[in-house]
Amino acid sequence: MRELVLIQPGRTLEGPTARESDRARADREFEERLAESGPLAFRVAYGVLRNAADAEDVAQEALLKAYRNFGRLREPERFRGWLVRIAFRLALDRWRSAKRREKRETEWNGPEQSVTGQTAEELAVSSEFEARLERAMEELPEKFRLVLLLAAIHGYTLDEVSEMLGIPMGTVKSRLFFARKQLAEKLR
Amino acid sequence: MSCQRCQEKMVDALASGEGAVHVELAAHLRVCAECRKVHEAQVHLFGAIDSGVRAMVDVSVPPSLLPGLRARVAEDGVARQPWSFTWGVATVAVVAVLAVSVGLLMRGPGNSRRVVDRSPIVAREVGGAHSVTPRQPQVVAGAPIHARAQHEVARAPQGGATAPEVLVLPAERAAFIRFVTDLPEERDVAVAFTRPAADAKDEAVEIALLQIDELKLKPLESSNRE
Repeated sequence: MRELVLIQPGRTLEGPTARESDRARADREFEERLAESGPLAFRVAYGVLRNAADAEDVAQEALLKAYRNFGRLREPERFRGWLVRIAFRLALDRWRSAKRREKRETEWNGPEQSVTGQTAEELAVSSEFEARLERAMEELPEKFRLVLLLAAIHGYTLDEVSEMLGIPMGTVKSRLFFARKQLAEKLR
Repeated sequence: MSCQRCQEKMVDALASGEGAVHVELAAHLRVCAECRKVHEAQVHLFGAIDSGVRAMVDVSVPPSLLPGLRARVAEDGVARQPWSFTWGVATVAVVAVLAVSVGLLMRGPGNSRRVVDRSPIVAREVGGAHSVTPRQPQVVAGAPIHARAQHEVARAPQGGATAPEVLVLPAERAAFIRFVTDLPEERDVAVAFTRPAADAKDEAVEIALLQIDELKLKPLESSNRE
């Protein structure tokens, strides 16, 4: 919907009205970006945290930061790249603090007892592999891990990942190669 | 191609995501059962890695994500506005309190006494004769006097237009009064205190070297004990 503002003939829009108009335009642009960037931030955060509630909180935090800095981030690629990085960083911070807390609790309570009532052998194998994969991912260098996660998100090509992160295509491919190779070595 | 080299190549090819197997590698796999088995395991492993990583990120986005964000944006806006408003109000309040406090200090009944009590004693040269007398502090009721004004009061000519003035610290006031009272006769001393020093130029002082005419130097005699 187009916004109409009445201005006296011979005068330009200035003062509070101009500021309000700019603000409204920025809010509209930000809202347009949310449709794509919101899920992207959530998925990146989820790839690190593996918990929907935490990932949602982190994604909202990252988007709120993006909203506050939207004046500097109007270009779509710049906005996405910035958002992805900030979401990834916030998720890593939260993950680390959760690990520290978990370690403290384990030290106090003793080793955690497994209460998974798995019956199907395949499920057990799958869960075991998943856990090992998660551990292997955690050990990857951050830059490899981010590229791996972004490349795995459905709908994003390597070209888009390259644009998003502002790095050459060759760098994206090499990071992806080393990430997969390191994972295979750890999981073999 | 050796088996080791073949296995390295197959891992590199799978890690880079190449779908097609290299001709040389394919030729080795056709004749080497061991490497074929390793290749199958590696394909399976890389497939599992890919699907595992995809499962990590391809999750459905909770419907509360964007409404929650909008609520946080609104909260952020609301929280920020009072923040600046509060600071503005706080600044105005602090300035107002300071202004009122200063005004009360200046106009307060006990204040004028305190200010005048700290007024300096003025030593004055009257007429041609030098007389130094302690002056009683004047009380100016209700007049706001701050430091600068106090200084101006002390410097204001009263009586003699060219009377020299001495500023005395409040702590030294009593001692100065005693000093001035006890020395009415010794005017020269008082005048020396109240008048600026004469512009006397310093002369260079020469110190002559000490000379002893009848000085004899004798060599040291060694004692027997050494």
